[in-house]
Amino acid sequence: MSTLTYKKVNEDFLSLLRNPTKAWYVLFVLDLLVLAFGAACWIYQIQTGMGAAGKMRPVMWALYITDFVFWVGIGHAGTLISAVLFLFRSRFRNAIYRTAEGMTVFAVMTAGLFPLIHLGRVWFFYWLLPYPNQRGLWPNFRSPLEWDVFAVSTYLTISSVFFFVGLIPDLAVARESATGLRKKIYTLASLGWRGTNTQWKHYNNAYIYFAALATPLVFSVHSVVSWDFAMSVNPGWHGTIFAPYFVAGAIFSGIGMVITLMVPMRKIFGLEKYLTDWHFDSMGKILLFTSLIVTYAYATEMFMAWYSGNPFEKSVFWDRAFGPLGWAYWVMVLCNCLIPLLCIKKTVRTNVWGMFIISIFVNIGMWFERFVIIVQSLSHNFDPWVWRQYHPTLVDVGISIGSFAWFGMFFLLFIKFLPAMAIVEIKEILPVPRKKARAA
Amino acid sequence: MSKKMSGVLAVFEHVDTTIDAIRALKQDKRKMTVITPVPNHEIADEIDDTQSPVRLCTFVGGLVGGILGFTLCAWTSLDWPLITNGKEILSIPPFMIITFECTVLIGGLTNLVAMLFFSGLPNLNVTEGFDPRFTVDRFGIWVPCGKDEAEGVAGVLRSHGAEEVRFDAA
Repeated sequence: MSTLTYKKVNEDFLSLLRNPTKAWYVLFVLDLLVLAFGAACWIYQIQTGMGAAGKMRPVMWALYITDFVFWVGIGHAGTLISAVLFLFRSRFRNAIYRTAEGMTVFAVMTAGLFPLIHLGRVWFFYWLLPYPNQRGLWPNFRSPLEWDVFAVSTYLTISSVFFFVGLIPDLAVARESATGLRKKIYTLASLGWRGTNTQWKHYNNAYIYFAALATPLVFSVHSVVSWDFAMSVNPGWHGTIFAPYFVAGAIFSGIGMVITLMVPMRKIFGLEKYLTDWHFDSMGKILLFTSLIVTYAYATEMFMAWYSGNPFEKSVFWDRAFGPLGWAYWVMVLCNCLIPLLCIKKTVRTNVWGMFIISIFVNIGMWFERFVIIVQSLSHNFDPWVWRQYHPTLVDVGISIGSFAWFGMFFLLFIKFLPAMAIVEIKEILPVPRKKARAA
Repeated sequence: MSKKMSGVLAVFEHVDTTIDAIRALKQDKRKMTVITPVPNHEIADEIDDTQSPVRLCTFVGGLVGGILGFTLCAWTSLDWPLITNGKEILSIPPFMIITFECTVLIGGLTNLVAMLFFSGLPNLNVTEGFDPRFTVDRFGIWVPCGKDEAEGVAGVLRSHGAEEVRFDAA
């Protein structure tokens, strides 16, 4: 990066905002087709009833809640990178945080759809909101499901605000080079930012406090999501390890998705000088560290099931590994515990396409982790009389695949219409232009 | 809508020459605004050493949010006392989660509003004291003054390395 100048950074990143290419349109249309299929599945489910999905007693939480937890988890890395790494003054975050933040906002927007899809009667979604019913009875604030409403909506709001605030100076940069309608939109969105000393002072102060507020929020949200499970007395769920286990898993899957998105972006837009081996090396270290925590959590769960002497707990965990859906458990172990161990070697961490392949396995593995926890615990509950396997239908699967297209649609729009790299923050890590230094 | 002001705008290529010019203008007791493409601590320390009030607003917002969150849980539970999950009517640990979320939510939104308010945003009408190059790689100093003082101010700015100096009339 030492050969870069402020002007060159502007030119490189503003070129990403040029009119979309034919390839982008093809990708976007394909994405919309998949999204339309997912939407059609949801409409069919609304018309037919929840029986259209594969949910059946005792597995009343299935793919939709799996998808919800998966997408909330993906949404963790963005705020982790923008807030936590900002407070630690980690310089590698500057080049990757904007993409990661965008990913966070879109992932949480995707996650937010699943409780609505899962409701069935989606038009009654407002029953989740904290207001009293016609008898003056308020929601139960002791319920983890109500905590979830507060946690996820707060996380979405704060992540979106944090994302927008970070964008303001970059939108001002985009405003100055844009023309026509784009100029008007960027002018409005940048709020008339000029970069005066007063504006920077308040901006930097506010940014630190956003980071300070968002940091505990990152850890709280997935803790609260984990309590949706841990607060119940279901075997396989009722464990005190769930909050740190879920938080580590969320960071693990989020970093995995950041790598999955950034490697093709780097190649397509020619960002090799901004997204270097050093960035992937650093992300590889986080991936390895969180993979080890997740592996430890899997081992602890198994140990506690055996050591507790509780027959229900033992039975559930035996079923997870060796039951009819045991293959899902071993996919999870392979993808989350074994394959990320390759990141121990620096040559692997600095091999960009190698990291891309590992990240794909991490995404698959983390989706299966949620599937194993949710579906296998419910299908093999206390009473053998009600044990029943879950079989997904085209509706469940279609909506799940559609969620990836929903996320992809926002991400494709983001990289074409908003500065996908943090222009100002990348300039900040370049040498400041000095007359005396140049003379020397 | 802010009133349009007249003044001298100088464009600098380097941060050190900008700082030299700021020092010279401070000696002349001139008010000024410095515009930079990135935040710069040297310039910030030179021109303004006061603390931003945004942090105080954020603290107050967070405090109010936390109180509101806890009050919501406690008041609604006392309004219709109904024991659920075998927990007390005023169940402090579960209520702390809503309290925390409201602290962060209201604190974060107050932080945003305070930042916008003190930064004078949104303000789409300011045209004076700005040059598009300040979003690229140039540093600017805007000195509000009348036409009679402009020549003197421009001289100070030029002598400290400004690559371009111009007078913007009101």
